[in-house]
Amino acid sequence: MDTNLTRRAFFGGTMAWTVWPKSVFGALQQPGERQQHPQASIWEKPDGSATDSVMVRRLYLDLAGRIPTGDEARTYVHDSDGKKFETLVDVLLSSQDFANYWTMRFCDILRVKSEFPINLWPNAVYVYHARIRNFVERNEAWDAFGRTLLTAQGSDFRDAEANFFRATDMRTPEGWAEATAQTFLGIPPYKLEPALKKKIASFFSGVKIKETREWKEEIVYVDGIDKRGELCDLLFGGQRTDVALAFENTIRHWIFGPGSTAVKPPAGELRLKDMLRNIVLSPEYARGSITGGFPVRRLDAEVLDDAICTLSDSSRDYQSPAPEPFTFLPPKRATVCVEDGSITNGFLTLFGRPARDTGLPEERGQDVTAKQRLYLFNSGKLHQQLGRIVAPPGKFSGNKPNPILQMPLPKRIDDLYWRMLAREPTPRERQTILGVWQKRGGGKKRNVRPFELLRDVAWCIVNTKEFIFRT
Amino acid sequence: MKPARSVVEIWQWGGPSHIDTFDPKPKADRDYNGGLKAISTNVPGMEIHEWWPELAKCANLYSIIRSMTHSEFGHETATYLMQTGRMPGGGEVYPAIGAVISQIKRKSYKGDLPPYVILTREKGRFSEVGFFGAAAAPLVTGGRPNAPHFSVEGIVPPEGISPNAMLERFSMLDELDTWKPAANSCNAGQAALFDTAGQEARRISSGDAAKVFDLSLESKDMRDRYGRNITGQSLLVARRLVEYGVPYITVNVPGWDSHKRHFETMRRKSQELDLAIATLLQDLKSKGLLDSTIVWMSGEFGRTPKVGWDAPWNGGRGHYARCFSALVAGGGFKGGIVVGASDDTASRPLYRPVAPQDFLGSIYACCGIDPDAIMPNDLGKRVTVLPPQSSAGRLRELYAESA
Repeated sequence: MDTNLTRRAFFGGTMAWTVWPKSVFGALQQPGERQQHPQASIWEKPDGSATDSVMVRRLYLDLAGRIPTGDEARTYVHDSDGKKFETLVDVLLSSQDFANYWTMRFCDILRVKSEFPINLWPNAVYVYHARIRNFVERNEAWDAFGRTLLTAQGSDFRDAEANFFRATDMRTPEGWAEATAQTFLGIPPYKLEPALKKKIASFFSGVKIKETREWKEEIVYVDGIDKRGELCDLLFGGQRTDVALAFENTIRHWIFGPGSTAVKPPAGELRLKDMLRNIVLSPEYARGSITGGFPVRRLDAEVLDDAICTLSDSSRDYQSPAPEPFTFLPPKRATVCVEDGSITNGFLTLFGRPARDTGLPEERGQDVTAKQRLYLFNSGKLHQQLGRIVAPPGKFSGNKPNPILQMPLPKRIDDLYWRMLAREPTPRERQTILGVWQKRGGGKKRNVRPFELLRDVAWCIVNTKEFIFRT
Repeated sequence: MKPARSVVEIWQWGGPSHIDTFDPKPKADRDYNGGLKAISTNVPGMEIHEWWPELAKCANLYSIIRSMTHSEFGHETATYLMQTGRMPGGGEVYPAIGAVISQIKRKSYKGDLPPYVILTREKGRFSEVGFFGAAAAPLVTGGRPNAPHFSVEGIVPPEGISPNAMLERFSMLDELDTWKPAANSCNAGQAALFDTAGQEARRISSGDAAKVFDLSLESKDMRDRYGRNITGQSLLVARRLVEYGVPYITVNVPGWDSHKRHFETMRRKSQELDLAIATLLQDLKSKGLLDSTIVWMSGEFGRTPKVGWDAPWNGGRGHYARCFSALVAGGGFKGGIVVGASDDTASRPLYRPVAPQDFLGSIYACCGIDPDAIMPNDLGKRVTVLPPQSSAGRLRELYAESA
């Protein structure tokens, strides 16, 4: 072993996490001066910590990648058990929603997509996605998973991990060195020192890919001595400080944004669920976002899409006309569950779903843009969905009237707030909405119906910061 | 020479046959020309395929390149190459020409609409914005410009919601959107961004910008002249966007990937596009906008010169990149010129081969953008607009280089 490969020489240098756009997440701040806010108590307790309504929505969004249903939110908020948060954390960590959402996150950084410029092709996408989902769901250690990826060989259809070597637009030792540094050390290609790149690449010198007679099947194999185990020993053996720090930072930045960087590497094993459990149970996570300094994050494109679709009992049909044969995903597939980064639509592009071209964190757009707000103001598709949020057609069965439609107006307003924001409306909000109702002549004029009013309220809520952000 | 203010890209997604557009081979065998003819244009000596009669009447307005060439026969890679001037790989995904020009020109552009508008669908399959990221994303109109009411998703309120109803919504929203971080909070910036984006969006949807898409403001005669189909009406919208000042407009015209029954498809597609683009060029000319507007048209490649007559193709043409044609007009490009030539069967350029980066470099140059300059970006990337040392082949016979 080259003695120059000391930890410092090999992995030293700055980590990559400064590349996040600053505007997405401001720097984390400590709870500071309290400022008066007319309605702050909906979101924040006097000590600057977040209220139950905020916490339940925050936790569902971070762990399960979805907003809680109205019933889930009510149950949690009204539960008087002092351990209810810990209980919910464990329930969510073992849920399918958790596996789906965090698989999506890892598929982003591992560039899981069929087409250009990665060109995994559909068969390999589904095999690789399933393997990554196993890693998430079974809570495999990150370093053990990394070792299976970096030492993989075989068919892209059967040996899922071999796709690590295919999921890059540069299938050469240098390309794999970049992928390795980015995935396991958090160093993006443009910050990777040429010397370090060369060293890592040297471990991949015998790795080759060949085609088979099966359409789009490829075999990853090593011609000569396989040195990749040595690379894994360097990366994952001993203290594995750099890998541990990079992994923790990856997770922390998904939760807190790039202002938050771990000072020392996490103790114990590098397991996703354990790490997330520690993070969400920390005092830092319980802070409010008004004065408490908890950083907000715009909902991910996929999560926002799922939220609106679920609320409105509607869905998108995902299909891909390329390559042939066409791919049709089953109807009602949640967007978070779409395996292939190449299967997309205008909404997802607009709200910054990453193209999975590079796997870099900055590929995901989380700023709010005027184009997005135009969509939220004016979209015809959203307009239809808002109508369905107010009067979900799925609730009709046989000749029974929709129970939601039978509720008195104030209850319908409450119901809408619980479903969309995980809380009840404040007296002031109720007053505002009922004021509009009266002004329109509601209850007096026959052509003034609650439906239009509530659709307007749903439109307003979709256009509030509280809905668009994880607060 | 004054740099062009706007660019209209007409993208023939799928790869149109060069023989059946701008490089006809009337003297070749039927296996190559399908038994079809060439017609003369209003420029002496310049002939195009018989299915483009309207363009034949105004050949003085545009020039043709008959020696486009590269070696990528797959749609995605060829599209990437024709749009970025680069081959994939190297750990970098480059933005397409539309994203680059609109990002550079947005500084001098004053309109409310985004500087890059696509009608009506994206090319798909690859991310046009490349490493620029979502902030450079084009406005993709969606919708059907040929419908009685062309509604651009998001620009104007949905049908049935009156301007007054919108005002009522906004006033209720102001009351209900009360979540607000403390001024010294790390979230203040995000909240401010949300509000500014909202103000900008309101300005766009209530102001003149939204009217750009309202084709009912055009005369019936004008709409007819462009052709009452999606392609024709999209090009009419493109002209309105040029008048408004949008720096880059792409009209994606799919359907040229005619492996099977090529001639049936080609005849139908040509008829629509011939009328639409000829009208666009004349319309821009008559409005005095052609000198400041580049119009270019190409696909990712051409199609095999030799026709596959047998089943399953039944008269089809496959992908072909070694030789194909492109059209360019306005914005400093001279008209009535044919650049390069192909051999007897349109299989190889005979002389003056033009690579994708030569073609793109010429468009950049006419837009006043130095293709050898560093591409503007916030990521600290030091990459040039086009690959270094690609300047030699630019179409200088078609434009006067500015000092």
